[in-house]
Amino acid sequence: MLAFIVRRIITTIPVMAFVALFVFSLLYIAPGDPAAVIAGDQATPADVEKIRLSLGLDRPYLIRFGEWLFRVLQGDLGTSIFTSLPVTQLISQRIEPTVSLMVLTLIFAVVIAVPMGVIAAWKAGTWVDKSAMAFAVLGFSIPVFVVGYLLAYVFALKLDWLPVQGYTPLSEGLWPWLRNLILPSVTLGLVYIALIARITRATMLEVLQQDYIRTARSKGLGQRSVLFLHALKNAAIPIVTIIGIGIALLIGGAVVTESVFAIPGLGRLTVDAILRRDYPVIQGVVLMFSFVYVLVNLIIDLVYTLLDPRIRY
Amino acid sequence: MDRRTFLKSATGAGALAATGGLSMPALSQGAAAKTLRFVPQANLANFDPIWGTQYVVRNAAALVWDTLYGIDDKFQPQRQMVESEEVSSDGLTWTFKLRPGLKFHDGEPVLAKDVVQSLVRWSARDPMGLMLRAIQNELVAVDDRSWKWSLKQPFPKMLLALAKNNAPCSFIMPERIAKTDPFQQITEYVGSGPMKFLRNEWVPGAKAVFEKFADYVPRSEQANWLAGGKKMLVDRIEWVIMPDPATAAAALQNGEIDWWETPLADLVPVLKANKNINVDIGDPLGNIGAFRMNHLHPPFNNLKVRQAVLTALNQEDYMRALVGEDDKLWKPLPGFFTPGTPLYTEQGGDMLKMRNIEAAKKLLAEAGYKGEPVVCVVAQDMSATKAMGDVTADLLKRIGMNVDFVATDWGTVGSRRAQKTGPGQGGWSMFHTWHAGADCINPASYTAIRANGDKAWFGWPDVPGVEAEVTNWFNAKDIAEEKAAMGRLNQAAVQNVVYAPTGFYLGYQAWRKNVSGVVSGPLPFFWGVSKA
Repeated sequence: MLAFIVRRIITTIPVMAFVALFVFSLLYIAPGDPAAVIAGDQATPADVEKIRLSLGLDRPYLIRFGEWLFRVLQGDLGTSIFTSLPVTQLISQRIEPTVSLMVLTLIFAVVIAVPMGVIAAWKAGTWVDKSAMAFAVLGFSIPVFVVGYLLAYVFALKLDWLPVQGYTPLSEGLWPWLRNLILPSVTLGLVYIALIARITRATMLEVLQQDYIRTARSKGLGQRSVLFLHALKNAAIPIVTIIGIGIALLIGGAVVTESVFAIPGLGRLTVDAILRRDYPVIQGVVLMFSFVYVLVNLIIDLVYTLLDPRIRY
Repeated sequence: MDRRTFLKSATGAGALAATGGLSMPALSQGAAAKTLRFVPQANLANFDPIWGTQYVVRNAAALVWDTLYGIDDKFQPQRQMVESEEVSSDGLTWTFKLRPGLKFHDGEPVLAKDVVQSLVRWSARDPMGLMLRAIQNELVAVDDRSWKWSLKQPFPKMLLALAKNNAPCSFIMPERIAKTDPFQQITEYVGSGPMKFLRNEWVPGAKAVFEKFADYVPRSEQANWLAGGKKMLVDRIEWVIMPDPATAAAALQNGEIDWWETPLADLVPVLKANKNINVDIGDPLGNIGAFRMNHLHPPFNNLKVRQAVLTALNQEDYMRALVGEDDKLWKPLPGFFTPGTPLYTEQGGDMLKMRNIEAAKKLLAEAGYKGEPVVCVVAQDMSATKAMGDVTADLLKRIGMNVDFVATDWGTVGSRRAQKTGPGQGGWSMFHTWHAGADCINPASYTAIRANGDKAWFGWPDVPGVEAEVTNWFNAKDIAEEKAAMGRLNQAAVQNVVYAPTGFYLGYQAWRKNVSGVVSGPLPFFWGVSKA
């Protein structure tokens, strides 16, 4: 097992190197110029050109990539063109809000979606099943920003229970932290509830047809034990996979939610950096995202072995 | 339902549903009583007001760095850090003296050497500063509080250059910081202004925080725009960056923020309906909508083609697309200068009033236009340029031009417009933008009106007649001469279509009623603003 983990971590290095090269090349050929954004609308062409030169944007592609790679290998992601702040600092400022949002969203989604999927499978074809799946389709179909505004309208503007926007670090207390995150995590969670509930239902339906379930029932086990102890564990691999993919998607995909609720997370950092062509920040964030993807996939693979003893690496 | 309509209706429903002033603030107000929470027009992505000339940087910098002079609401330069000035009888030598007791945020006194170095850095980037450098003999400190600027020829607009609010302003920094190359970014944000910048609390893209500077010595006069006593009545100002206008509107209604610099026009009726919120014009000098045509390449290297477009143009179409049905927010602009300012002129602006499609088609035929593509580059991520771009595309089609509409983002427009190659080789034919009215009250910092060929702003118009009138304005000895030069300048600029003005428009600002002292101005002025 240890050998497998080490092997997987080693194989991430070429993956990340390829991602880095790809991203760097993409930015190089993409139109846009940070110097023009920095100089402002009223700057003259000569001003823009001088800023380009001072930023070293006129230097050849290979030299710039080589310098960047050399720094990255030393653990230095560079400095933001716009803020002059280290990219690692900008990323570290934004990790907590995004991870907080991700964790709460997943907890909310899993706690609701898994039982919902199990019950829908158990009551397949009945109104309970149809209602649950209708809810799931609805959650998946309504755009995130619509749900966000509706929740903010009801729970912030009308009922005055929760704030509209912002983020409070966990260090300032559990309730202030939670208070700011309830609406965004519910908003985002609805999408994942739909996704996880539908996968859970489908895999549970398949498992419930298996002989060992019939055997379990014939031994006189209660419905709850059959569903949650026997069936769910055997249906868990696709569910864990979809939850894992959900984690990876959430890290970078919470842009709309972060914008609607003004949460200073990684999604907003990335979009801002792309719009301004802040190359070092874009490269740093993408590198981090790719690492998270690889890591999450590794964890999923490891969880498989716990769920199914037949799986060995 | 599209996103914009949804935002409007959802926020509107929120406001209407909440009787009795909607709701109590969701956050505790007690602890924040002396903290003013402000939503600026854009993200404060960098903080060097000389290196980056975005308006939002200038606005934040005005809190942290003070200026030698400040412009008032009559557009007159008033002393700010300066105690006195003397100009020699030949107009060639200016000697200035600092007010006593001025300190930087690090506790060091403000000295003449700091001023000199700051002016050196500023003058390398500012259009008026560059003019001063071109005629400069010497800029030196005389003693700790005095410095001398000697010139080869008189520069009557000296005080305006040092007082103007157009970016870059001549902010005064410590000598060690001002020694930074003007094309490199400073990394230390120490000024002598009324607020300190809390760098450790800065989260670019999310929050910028300013704290009252206890040792600031305001002037005794009443505050008036950038002039007078900059008395801070709050201890702390938090700039909260909100990318989503509907969220900002809801946060203002909920009391989570206190002041919103640029509410979206669609959301203003909702804010006006809330009894806890004041809504008023933000910047009375407004903005001038514009599109620039590339004078270097066909078809717009042909004067008659440019005139054809101007002849067909209906500014009302542009303004409706920008501000909707609120007639208080716009006016037609038969010229290039800011309405309501002392030198405003409409002389020679008839072509901008014609709105005649048939006459435009006739001009195009006379010009020999043969369907060359017009590469219209439009930043879709900015609502103003998007709206104007759509109107222009329709206009050009209606007069029979072949439009190649390139929808992209501002980062791309910003770099593409600097290309001088032909439209088919990565260049462009036209792009849309706007100019702050504060920049357009006279030719001093009005980069867009200049027509000096290669040195001109993007589009590179080359019209000696326009340049001659700019020089005449700078050399004018009195207001009558200034007005005469401005009239001729406007006429020449319209006739040669330096660029196409699409109208003058204003925007609102909104703040909660427990905040007082908010005034209309070309930038948000925080001095004199208090919070109950």
